[in-house]
Amino acid sequence: MEFFERFAIPHPSPIIYASMVAIGITLLAIIAGLTFFKKWGYLWREWLTTVDHKRIGIMYLISALLMLFRGGVDALMMRAQLATPEAQLLDSQHYNEIFTTHGVVMIIFMAMAFIIALMNFVVPLQIGARDVAFPRLNALSFWLYFMGAMLFNLSFVIGGSPSSGWTSYFPLAGNEFSPSVGTNYYMIAIQIAGIGTLITGINFIVTILKMRAPGMKLMKMPMFTWSALITNLIITFAFPVLTVALAMGTMDRLFGTQFFTTGNGGMDMLWANLFWVWGHPEVYILVLPAFGIYSEIISTFAKRNLYGYKSMVASMVIISLLSFVVWVHHFFTMGQGAMVNSIFSITTMAIAVPTGIKIFNWLFTLYKGSIRFTVPMMYSLGFLPIFTIGGVTGVMLGMSAADYQYHNTMFLVAHFHLVIIPGVVFAMLAGLTYWWPKMFGFMLNERIGKWAFWFISVGTCVAFFPMFISGLDGQARRMYTYSESTGFGFWNMLSFVGAVALAIGFIIIVYNIYYSTRYASRDIGSDPWDARSLEWATHTPVPEYNFATIPEVDSSEAFWDSKYNGHKLFKGKLKEIHMPNNSGVPFIMSALFFVLGFSFIFSIWIGVIVSLLGICACLMHRSFEKDHGRHISLEEVEKTESELRGGK
Amino acid sequence: MKELFPLKQVMGFVFSLVLTAVALSVVMFDMSFAMGMTILLITAFVQAMLQLMVFMHARETEDSGLILANVYYGVFIAVVTVFGSLLALIWGYM
Amino acid sequence: MKLDHSQPLEYSSEQGRLNILGFWIFIGAEVMLFGTLFASYFTLEGRHGSGPSGAEIFEIAPVLFETILLLTSSFTVGLAIHAMRLNNKKAMMTFFIITLVLGLAFLSVEIYEFTHYIHEGAGLTVSAFSSALLTTLGTHGLHVTLGLFWGIFILIQVAKRGFTPETANKSFIFSLYWHFLDVVWIFIFSFIYLKGMM
Ligand code: HEM
Ligand SMILES: [Cu+2]
Repeated sequence: MEFFERFAIPHPSPIIYASMVAIGITLLAIIAGLTFFKKWGYLWREWLTTVDHKRIGIMYLISALLMLFRGGVDALMMRAQLATPEAQLLDSQHYNEIFTTHGVVMIIFMAMAFIIALMNFVVPLQIGARDVAFPRLNALSFWLYFMGAMLFNLSFVIGGSPSSGWTSYFPLAGNEFSPSVGTNYYMIAIQIAGIGTLITGINFIVTILKMRAPGMKLMKMPMFTWSALITNLIITFAFPVLTVALAMGTMDRLFGTQFFTTGNGGMDMLWANLFWVWGHPEVYILVLPAFGIYSEIISTFAKRNLYGYKSMVASMVIISLLSFVVWVHHFFTMGQGAMVNSIFSITTMAIAVPTGIKIFNWLFTLYKGSIRFTVPMMYSLGFLPIFTIGGVTGVMLGMSAADYQYHNTMFLVAHFHLVIIPGVVFAMLAGLTYWWPKMFGFMLNERIGKWAFWFISVGTCVAFFPMFISGLDGQARRMYTYSESTGFGFWNMLSFVGAVALAIGFIIIVYNIYYSTRYASRDIGSDPWDARSLEWATHTPVPEYNFATIPEVDSSEAFWDSKYNGHKLFKGKLKEIHMPNNSGVPFIMSALFFVLGFSFIFSIWIGVIVSLLGICACLMHRSFEKDHGRHISLEEVEKTESELRGGK
Repeated sequence: MKELFPLKQVMGFVFSLVLTAVALSVVMFDMSFAMGMTILLITAFVQAMLQLMVFMHARETEDSGLILANVYYGVFIAVVTVFGSLLALIWGYM
Repeated sequence: MKLDHSQPLEYSSEQGRLNILGFWIFIGAEVMLFGTLFASYFTLEGRHGSGPSGAEIFEIAPVLFETILLLTSSFTVGLAIHAMRLNNKKAMMTFFIITLVLGLAFLSVEIYEFTHYIHEGAGLTVSAFSSALLTTLGTHGLHVTLGLFWGIFILIQVAKRGFTPETANKSFIFSLYWHFLDVVWIFIFSFIYLKGMM
């Protein structure tokens, strides 16, 4: 019996029991459904073993949307609890758990997955490639991420959620103050997903550097591809820091090492330091792809080429360096002297400059453009002012002397939500709407989409602007309640209203997906937006080999030139095509990682050993295997091509 | 037999042993901390460059620009991380 | 598969070239991994609580021995690649085996060293210093261990399949890995041991 006791929830509530039942029923329903409709084989062949970047992108997308839902429910619960003074909806422990999982799920499992989803789907198409450099590793990345996400979410029903914040500062996150397994989940689930992300980083750098279509020089790459390159560069160099920090945190909790303890020389501040050495670059990892998406969308719907291409690239390169030298601004109040704080204050303000340059470039692109107010464009236009407010308040926080006043208040919460929501969430929704026809062969309804846009953008402002005020009035973040006499009640109620509006916006999007799936026209051609870059040059739906003949490029808007300036994209003749084989190993290996992680979390050492051996066996299999891929014959290519052309 | 031991690599190996010996001097002889650290920094980074250029063939292909840019970028950020952390947590901590 | 015969075998296939560049970028990530470990070690170096400090437990002889073993193995793996480019399978395999044996020797000395530290009272859980020391060394040692297995796999493949674009590519990438571990060791040697004993 004792063995099983560790799996119990230390601090249960009816919601948790209800979710256990719900999860159980959903799982059973899925298994029953797959069996009943005889879809196991299909699932395995077409999805679990796929190495196709488009399908992997779609799986990332679905996972990200699921996580958005999970994180969103957390957010609503928090806002509901704070809407009125001294509310009893959640107790302090549950509130702590919820803000922790909200942060982790949104940043690591939602936002990261969403940007990687879009990069996966779009980047190879934009550079005219047939797949990424290492398709097998790409599948491994996804499955590691997926298993990490599932493991993290399992904490809700088995063993208890982490509750020391998404930053998980020690000593709070140490065994003494967080005795439940929750923080083990944090350390290990993020570790597994993080390894997947690191692999993605390497994979995409090589893909973008080496697999571009002939003629596409670096300075002729579409802006989204540029942003993906820089993002992946930052990923590759930032994630190892997280790996090490998490490993040390895990060892402190499981093996009694003394890195972040408060006795025997341990230094809790070291965790905060390492966390933010990764953490600040991480916020740029999230926002740079968004910048790329906006660049694509704004130039498409302003019908102009992007203003200041070179300065756009230069500012991203500068960001890639500066983002690694500002991290201390997250703990100005920790006790380092004025000299250190001044240095990092200056670097922090410097990083606002390249960001500002980009804003002006977008404005100049819009200036005198003939603007089409589509849904993606509306998100882009909404992004500009809201993000600017978020960014400017960031500069306020970046002044170390002033930060003593703002730090750990709702003012900070307002800042980062007002950069992340327009910067990342709007961009994801814009990108999703923009590339949806390429992914699924029909467009999302514009009218419903605009409703969603208004709910989401107004909701964002109503939910987060009040926090500036209550924050300056002294409302601390991460407090589960406050007394009536503080006067925070009104602002928090307003925030709650905004949060509900946001939620309605997302529900409208879900409805839009349903509605458009049923009613939207399938007869949209391959370029419904009259767009400018290569991903629109191939058919819809995209054949598995992307391009029957590899396009030849001589400008950053080759597809536009081919439509209007007589550039010839496809010169070669059809040939047989070499493609990578599917493989089940990435899935199996990641499942073993899941077992490994779970065993670590609960200190079940036999499980650790068995799954490690399994992982080694997978690696060994990979080392010895001979895999030369497969060929799609000329006839087959011709057949697919003529069908797709006819279907247009 | 001789063609199996190219001069460049043999020289590289000998040089790396020499560098090790020089580094060793910091514990053999009495010297100031600053002096010792200077020696160590020089020998370690020269040794790293040696491995990179002689043994790892970092410059032999068309990708060498990318390879070196990548390595330098990594080293730059690693150095910033090391010194920045020390600055924040020890030297500049009050 | 299109092969480009103007280049060494390991570079001859498209995928091979991608692998090599990808591995270099992975090495960049590893630089950062060890950079973080160093940052932590230097921060915690002086914080040995009630346990022993570095100066009290470091011994120069085994460390120097480890250094020479690893430097030599880095040299021999370089020779193995050179032999591979001369298409001399026997020499290549000999150098490869020497490399792995040296690596194994290195590991044995390191294990001796660890038991010595634990004996001296600097176990993993004693102080921030000892945790950071053993974790940094352990991470390097783990890399060497993985390298040994990987090297053996490659050796078997070369023995069975001879030099093909794949086996040549794998061997070359392995050599990059091994040289890199040597570089990391140089930094450990200089800034953990020598600095600690200074
Ligand atoms: C214009 C450039 C920016 C500046 C100058 C800036 C500055 C800052 C500063 C100084 C803090 C710490 C404040 C405190 O803890 O008291 C902070 C927190 C934060 N920022 Fe920014 N920021 C900028 C852009 C961004 C962007 C683009 C994002 C994300 C896409 C972002 C996300 C965050 C997050 C998530 C936090 C809070 C983390 C936490 O403590 O939980 N920031 N920012
Ligand atoms: Cu920051």
